[in-house]
Amino acid sequence: MEQCYIVDAAKAPWKRSSTEGVTFACQVLLSGEDGGPEALHFRFDDCPSVYAHMHLTSQFQLLLGGSMDFPRGVKHLEALAIHYTDHNMPYGPFAVSGCHDMLVLHPKAGGIISMANHDARRQINLSGRIFATLASSSDWQSLPGADHSAFKLLMPPGYGPAAVVVKSPAHAALAMPAAEFGRYEVVLEGSVIAEGQEIGPPGFRYVRGERAAEPLVTGDNGASVAFLTFDRDVLEGGITGEGLSVEAAEAMARAI
Amino acid sequence: MDQSEQTAAPFRVVVFADFVCTYSYLAVEQIDRLAREYGVRPLWRPHWLHPETPLEGTPREQTPESIAKRERLHAWVKEMAPEHYPRMRFPEKRQYSFLAFEALEFACDRQRDFEFKTAVYDLMWTEERDIGKPETLLAAAERSGLDPDELKEALDERSYAERALDACNQARTIGITNTPTIFLGRTRINGWHYYEVLQSVMEKQGMRPRETVAG
Repeated sequence: MEQCYIVDAAKAPWKRSSTEGVTFACQVLLSGEDGGPEALHFRFDDCPSVYAHMHLTSQFQLLLGGSMDFPRGVKHLEALAIHYTDHNMPYGPFAVSGCHDMLVLHPKAGGIISMANHDARRQINLSGRIFATLASSSDWQSLPGADHSAFKLLMPPGYGPAAVVVKSPAHAALAMPAAEFGRYEVVLEGSVIAEGQEIGPPGFRYVRGERAAEPLVTGDNGASVAFLTFDRDVLEGGITGEGLSVEAAEAMARAI
Repeated sequence: MDQSEQTAAPFRVVVFADFVCTYSYLAVEQIDRLAREYGVRPLWRPHWLHPETPLEGTPREQTPESIAKRERLHAWVKEMAPEHYPRMRFPEKRQYSFLAFEALEFACDRQRDFEFKTAVYDLMWTEERDIGKPETLLAAAERSGLDPDELKEALDERSYAERALDACNQARTIGITNTPTIFLGRTRINGWHYYEVLQSVMEKQGMRPRETVAG
């Protein structure tokens, strides 16, 4: 099944909300209700302890502004940064500060479940992967065959899920291979043209399928784009309509 | 020996930990509970996190970053282990743990290691005692049914130093990198986890709580 969604974040309404005492503003960019991807844009108010939780699907968090601190792993993230987790992989509690701004990107609806839930603790994915890094930790490399373009790998090659940032001058075609398990292509700077539509930061395209999608083309001022690619873990978990997933879906609906 | 003990006897539970690690301390009550509920006898082995620490310990850094980091750790413990947090006392310095590892070997030889390690953790994390000082370890010995005089002699003579060092080296050799690392039968768990996770791992390998087995 081929999937392609194009989202202009500027057009989505903001809503103030809270969950478990944590306050934030949120945009629902993709609801996942059609069985497709779920994408949320959060701006948390400064908070020393966002409660530990997990989602029932794979997740990329793309930190666009502010910082997040994960004391257990002693990981300090400042924008631009990514935080990846497999399905049912808990993380937190963590602190957010400094004009936090973040995209939460799922290949399908994943709900949210607090780790205060004892049943959830029995469903933790013990072999699940968790990965976090700052973009500034990686060096730019020149893009072969593309003058004035560069890329940086945010995740080690062969890790499974992949994250790469590409920056290119105006009117460059950013061709990528097929994304069998799904890929978010998020505009960080400048703009890109996708399916005849120009999108700016932090808009994105989500593609999934066995055939490569049409390349994004950078706009008149060039662009910097994060390509966040899922792997087989997307086939696991999700909102199945049974057991814990009902609770997770309800909790997410309440939160946003 | 009752039926549950017979069933549980071959099941191996090994915990690699360092007394100075907050997360290892939080695992103590969990592993002790696992021992009670599943009739297993966990083996605690040392993983020396900070061999560079001198005998007198290392004062905590007072930079804004370090202070902020400690505040976040407090917030983490407060949420993840609310039952422990009120009585926990976070040490003002990083303590020297090798002497306690030597004492643990001494306790192992007398089959009191399980009780001894709990006493050491309690003294350090709830009573603000320095485990780099022999008197703290002697107090732990007394609490766990060991002869403090005999332990004092062993520590004075460094009778268990080589064995403790071998144990630390063995942990590195088998790839232990963080604490606690918990082996439950065939499953390795890196880092602290919820008690329900430990239960789930035990039960996936056929272990049942004693009450269930007895019932």
